[in-house]
Amino acid sequence: MTERFQTVGNPLLEDPKMRVRNASVFYADKQAIFDVDLDIGKNQVISMIGPSGCGKSTFLRCLNRMNDTIDICRVEGQLELDGQDINDRKIDVVELRARVGMVFQKPNPFPKSIYENVAYGARIHGLTDNKVQLDDLVEQCLQRCGLWKEVKDRLHEPATGLSGGQQQRLCIARAIAVNPEVILMDEPCSALDPIATATVEELIHELSQNFTICIVTHSMQQAARVSERTAYFHLGKLIEVNDTSKVFTNPEHQLTEEYITGRIG
Amino acid sequence: MSDRKDIALRRAESLQKRHAAETRFRWYGRAAISFGMLCIVFLFTDIFSKGAGAFQQTYIDMEIHFDPEVLGLTPQSTPAEIEQASFGSFFKKALRQQYPDLTSRKEKRQLYGLVTSDMPLTLRNQVMAEPSLIGTTKSIRMIADDDIDVYYKYSYGRDNEDGTSVGRATELQQSIVAELAQQGRIGTRFNNTFFTAADSREPELAGIKGAIVGSMLTLMITLIISFPIAVATAIYLEEFAPKNKLTDFIEVNINNLAAVPSVIFGLLGLAIFINFFGLPRSVPLVGGLVLSLMTLPTIIISSRAAIKAVPPSIRDAALGMGASKVQTVLHHVLPLALPGMLTGTIIGMAQALGETAPLLMIGMVAFIVDVPASVGDSATVLPVQIFLWSDSPERGFVEKTSAAIMVLLTFLIFMNSFAVWLRKRLERRW
Ligand SMILES: Nc1ncnc2c1ncn2[C@@H]1O[C@H](COP(=O)(O)OP(=O)(O)OP(=O)(O)O)[C@@H](O)[C@H]1O
Ligand SMILES: [Mg+2]
Repeated sequence: MTERFQTVGNPLLEDPKMRVRNASVFYADKQAIFDVDLDIGKNQVISMIGPSGCGKSTFLRCLNRMNDTIDICRVEGQLELDGQDINDRKIDVVELRARVGMVFQKPNPFPKSIYENVAYGARIHGLTDNKVQLDDLVEQCLQRCGLWKEVKDRLHEPATGLSGGQQQRLCIARAIAVNPEVILMDEPCSALDPIATATVEELIHELSQNFTICIVTHSMQQAARVSERTAYFHLGKLIEVNDTSKVFTNPEHQLTEEYITGRIG
Repeated sequence: MSDRKDIALRRAESLQKRHAAETRFRWYGRAAISFGMLCIVFLFTDIFSKGAGAFQQTYIDMEIHFDPEVLGLTPQSTPAEIEQASFGSFFKKALRQQYPDLTSRKEKRQLYGLVTSDMPLTLRNQVMAEPSLIGTTKSIRMIADDDIDVYYKYSYGRDNEDGTSVGRATELQQSIVAELAQQGRIGTRFNNTFFTAADSREPELAGIKGAIVGSMLTLMITLIISFPIAVATAIYLEEFAPKNKLTDFIEVNINNLAAVPSVIFGLLGLAIFINFFGLPRSVPLVGGLVLSLMTLPTIIISSRAAIKAVPPSIRDAALGMGASKVQTVLHHVLPLALPGMLTGTIIGMAQALGETAPLLMIGMVAFIVDVPASVGDSATVLPVQIFLWSDSPERGFVEKTSAAIMVLLTFLIFMNSFAVWLRKRLERRW
């Protein structure tokens, strides 16, 4: 391999929520992520952009060990959450995933009722003591995702009967019901109309008060609207990390500039 | 322009060919289906035409005078005394009284042969239940002997040019039947015996209940053993086992087991359960164990397919929320895979229900006259019963064989329809 690529901008922070050093990901023999160094700030929103197939989802999945579910996938390097190594075989992924929640690229509600979808996380983690608390939690989460009004009369109908956008917001409600510290969102708005997108963006904004959020998006406007920092990936390499305003107005790296001006991707 | 025309022409030509190919293909399909349907129709007509008669039973009404002197009983006799009385000779005498002209031994024997040999016992039971019968005369409805039964059902009243008749009813018996028919004392009724009795040497007394109960007990054991083991295996292999050479090897072996001739499982069962563990022969317990060995691979394979069909995104969703592997499987994968697993299980059970060869190996082919009461009692099963009856020389067993096949087919159709219904019912779309 050639000499190690140096990310431009300022990927490192002081006292980050998550710290990634030297992360490489391999699918069998094929390397998908190359030596990424990145810090994710506490209660910040960081967006990841880049052309299709550049490894955004792969990187995101490292942060809560979802890559474990892919047999051929191997993650190397140092990944920390609050200073605790999370790439260690010995740590409890159940706890990790409760702390680092995830919203997937394709909406994937459980084929159960809407209520059950939201209540599930609270149930398995034993977050509520009784039915009333659980009902409250479900309502609150659905409300925050702007879904309550639409579904309050059909809480016990199957979630698979919802529209794609409603399903995605349900998945977000489901993720926040566990009350994680970090939420990973993989293109959460790719199936949403502009109104629903606005709701979700508002939600992200609100959540960023007390959650750390990593969002993958193909919409540069969205990245600009919701995030404080932006990371640009290209062919598995982290090219540039900077404050969002800087990335979109004055990118340091040529590839970033070409991408945001629409010449690649 | 000419270029375009050329292309249009070529397209039209190829289109014609494609249409021809499609039509041809449709006809191949139709021919194949017609052949299959023809076979089924042929099979069913054959079985039904042969077996329908078995659901009817010929009876003969006879006036029986319960002569206190011959019986040596009074209405006040105790059950023990009734037990002691010789109903055999009493019954013969009663028959002779009806036909005083028949005097030679040969003729008398033919007379006794009109009704089932079980009759004295039946009469004793009637008297036992109702001692006041003694001294009275009553018309008793009797099950006809199998030879009379087949003669009455298939030959009587029909013109046979060559004068032959079905069964072994003698000329004397045939004339008695004609006489009885004129008096309206012979006829057919629904054959209760067939559904309430177990096997018998006498076709008119043989029933299928023993085999049905035996089959059910055997299937119960099969289900109890194979379903949990197969499901656990399938879940472990699909969800937990690492994918390596060993699991590949296990997978190949399971697939191989599904193709092993069933008789080999019978030999295995004989060696393990009977010779090594010393379990008794010809009992549903061992039959069920053997059939479990046979159905296990079927259920494992279909359960694995059902688990594989659950979208990975559901697993991701659960794992991503911090559900453990076991929670993911129990809460999400299993409910979605269950319909497929159950369908596979029912199909495996249907296979087991129709299985004969391995059960012959463990001695379930024995002649058993009692309906089994537990999995430890000697029993036979439906397909083995069919096998046994089809092997019997008596004409009366021919229709019994077909009727038993009808019963077995009914069970199979019922189970398979249940599987289809279950799949439709439980299947979820997402
Ligand atoms: N399960 C997998 N097995 C093998 N290769 C994979 C797998 N998942 C992803 N890859 C490869 O890893 C690289 C990065 O994929 P990834 O899904 O992370 O891209 P992405 O940036 O999320 O793209 P998109 O914007 O289209 O979602 C791609 O080249 C892809 O082919
Ligand atoms: Mg992606």
